[in-house]
Amino acid sequence: MVSQNEIIPIRIKFKKYGSLMYISHLDTAKTMQRIMLRAGIDIWYSEGFNPQPKIVFAVPLPVGVESECEFMDIKINSYMSCEEIKERLSYNIPNEMKIISVYIPEQKLKNIIYIDYEMEICSHSVDNETASQIENLLSGDVFVVKRSKGTEKEINIKDYIKSVSVRNENGKIIIKAIICAGGDKNLNPELLIEAIRANTKLLNGNPTEEYYSIMRKRMLCEDLTEFK
Amino acid sequence: MNNLSTILKSVSKPGRYTGGEYGQIIKDKEKVSLRVAFCFPDTYEIGMSNLGVRILYGAINQMDGVWCERVYAPWPDMEDKMREYNIPLFALESKDSIKDFDIIATSLQYELCYTTAVNMIDLAGLPIFARDRGEDAPVLLAGGPCAYNAEPVADFYDIFSIGEGEEALPELCALMKKMKEDGTYTKTAFLREASHHKGFYVPSLYSIEYNEDGTIKSFEPKYEDVPKKVEKRIVADLNTSYFPTKPVMPFIETVHDRIMLETFRGCIRGCRFCQAGMVFRPVREKSAEVLNAQAKEIFKNSGYNEISLTSLSISDYSCLSDATDLLLEWTNPAKINLSLPSLRADSFTKELMEKISTVRQSGLTFAPEAGTQRLRDAINKNLYESDLLNAVRLAFEGGKSLVKLYFMNGLPTETYEDIEGISVLAKHVVDEFYKMPVRPKKPVSVTVSVSCFVPKPHTPFQWEPQNTLDELCEKQKFLGEKITDRRVRYNWHEAKVSRLEAVFSKGNRRLSKAIAYAVEQGMRFDAWDEYFDYDKWMDVFDKCGIDPSFYANRRMDYDEILPWDVIDIGVSKKFLISESKKAYESVTTPNCKEKCSGCGANKLGGDVTWCPKMR
Repeated sequence: MVSQNEIIPIRIKFKKYGSLMYISHLDTAKTMQRIMLRAGIDIWYSEGFNPQPKIVFAVPLPVGVESECEFMDIKINSYMSCEEIKERLSYNIPNEMKIISVYIPEQKLKNIIYIDYEMEICSHSVDNETASQIENLLSGDVFVVKRSKGTEKEINIKDYIKSVSVRNENGKIIIKAIICAGGDKNLNPELLIEAIRANTKLLNGNPTEEYYSIMRKRMLCEDLTEFK
Repeated sequence: MNNLSTILKSVSKPGRYTGGEYGQIIKDKEKVSLRVAFCFPDTYEIGMSNLGVRILYGAINQMDGVWCERVYAPWPDMEDKMREYNIPLFALESKDSIKDFDIIATSLQYELCYTTAVNMIDLAGLPIFARDRGEDAPVLLAGGPCAYNAEPVADFYDIFSIGEGEEALPELCALMKKMKEDGTYTKTAFLREASHHKGFYVPSLYSIEYNEDGTIKSFEPKYEDVPKKVEKRIVADLNTSYFPTKPVMPFIETVHDRIMLETFRGCIRGCRFCQAGMVFRPVREKSAEVLNAQAKEIFKNSGYNEISLTSLSISDYSCLSDATDLLLEWTNPAKINLSLPSLRADSFTKELMEKISTVRQSGLTFAPEAGTQRLRDAINKNLYESDLLNAVRLAFEGGKSLVKLYFMNGLPTETYEDIEGISVLAKHVVDEFYKMPVRPKKPVSVTVSVSCFVPKPHTPFQWEPQNTLDELCEKQKFLGEKITDRRVRYNWHEAKVSRLEAVFSKGNRRLSKAIAYAVEQGMRFDAWDEYFDYDKWMDVFDKCGIDPSFYANRRMDYDEILPWDVIDIGVSKKFLISESKKAYESVTTPNCKEKCSGCGANKLGGDVTWCPKMR
């Protein structure tokens, strides 16, 4: 029997991109359990009738969004160096996932208050004017319908955006936005795209010619410092 | 992927179409000379759960210079988008259109997948009929259980693989590779050459004449070098044959998301309705040691925490006790569950139940198939009521209170007394529970699940008619009235589905017209409740001048030329006829372990099995 004080908390920071953006939070969690087993990490199991390996994720990543800054916390029953864990995990993950770092956490996951996103829209006839039009749109009052747990409510996305900037880069629209995350106030960045689709001509044509991507760049604390 | 990304964000379960799983096989397309698309005519979740496809994917990819990729049928929401924006059917690994591949292989597991399979050919951008595809088109191959009567879909595919494919398909790929390398390849020459290889059926090389009543007058090869009968392929030794130990790990939840370990092929029993029991003969077993080693390897490469031992009837596996001992030694400490499906009531022991109690199962399932001893003897189930009651008592003693029983309606020789027998048997199982002095806390619940008999090719019942739809429905209603105990739950299969299964199971080449027309009408995913439309099918048959009763409800003569006679499964027609006659006398046949009944399958060879002649 392992005594409580020997259990070591471990934080894993990883990237999830490409086709993995279509894999839901729950499926990612299950995939992670299997990666742990393949990698032979002596992960701590929850107690009870149906013990499960205990893995806790920071703010769940919505389907369709890529990330350079996912965090997951586990506990291990016996000592293994962070380097070794990183090496073992890296060997056992799918192609479009990458382990960035493994360490013993100092901050709590609930310290995450904002997330920094970068979005890219590829469409026809994009110019600087389009960029400023979108910046104006996202800086003002924009109402969209937020769906969660079967309920719908109209919200003003302005209330959820800490800061936003939009530019035109070689005919692509690049949006940088810091959005509320964490427990109390949460916004799916997809709603920004929805607002753009509803209020401009962008992303309303042939989906094989126009597309967009959303990347989580950094998780931030209350004071806008980077969460670690 | 960019051109797909917006579409994928708008369809249900996009993870079905992305590939990228851990364990998928990626090769350099510049360095391979042969590309194979392995199609499964159902959703990703179903296709990824199929062990046979996993075996073949691995076996083909073992070859140098050959790259086999996976393709599943897109769900209608995705199909609509693909058609709207001209995206042809693509392979998951490379996302390349499969139209330009060398071989498109399709696994036909179930008759109601036919429309989906043919629709996939259309989605790939190819003409659905083989005769309309040019020399430059890929070779379309089909295999799987439905290939044992390939006739309803014979016009759509160039070639069928009959029997086990892990050796046959690499052989076919090697033949094509060689012919392409030495410049002798044309599709016509290749198919002719392939027809000389054991286990390959090229339907275009046979001519069929019909009698006026629609039965077959003659079914002959067009050329002398083409075999009159195509003998199925088997793998001789499961201990040395290829078995995949590095599974592709799906991200999204699939139907069987666990380690599937094949323990043996074939079945010693010989139930007279069962196609699998005939076509997979002879019995071949894997040793406990090989099984255990494979399990360890797969666990290391997968991270699955559940192992399922698969076979047709797991309690007949002669190494079951040894194998479970070896497995439990390391699976228990590693918190890996072990599950055993397909238990027979007469070989269910306390020891076995204690071993599988490690699995959180609240109930057990048995399949008596028929309600009276007379009918169980007629179908050669070789199971007594006392066996079943012993088994359920053990289960109740082990703390389980849920029992599920499988039966069939419409079996040959069935009477209403037999149907009533189902309700009596279920009642006896309930009574058994209350006979025990100490009972599980949870109240007993017996689920009676009744399907409809579908006559299957290559079985002793292949000549039998299916009950008409009215008869089947009446029988279902009758049983519902007889089951009055509140502790017995009754559910039954949709008879209309079973009728369509019978039409295609016993179908001939004339049905391809109906399948093509149905596909044109937008019919697909017939195996899914939300898309199954019986009335639409009746309309399709009507428009195509086909009488479904001719296939489903007509008794065939022993000397009639059957559409599937061209396929030789090893079991002789003489044996099937004798079994068919014994059914009408309610005489049973001993299982292969007790005595060889001379079915003929041992001519196929294979390693030491229950067949004494093969030792």
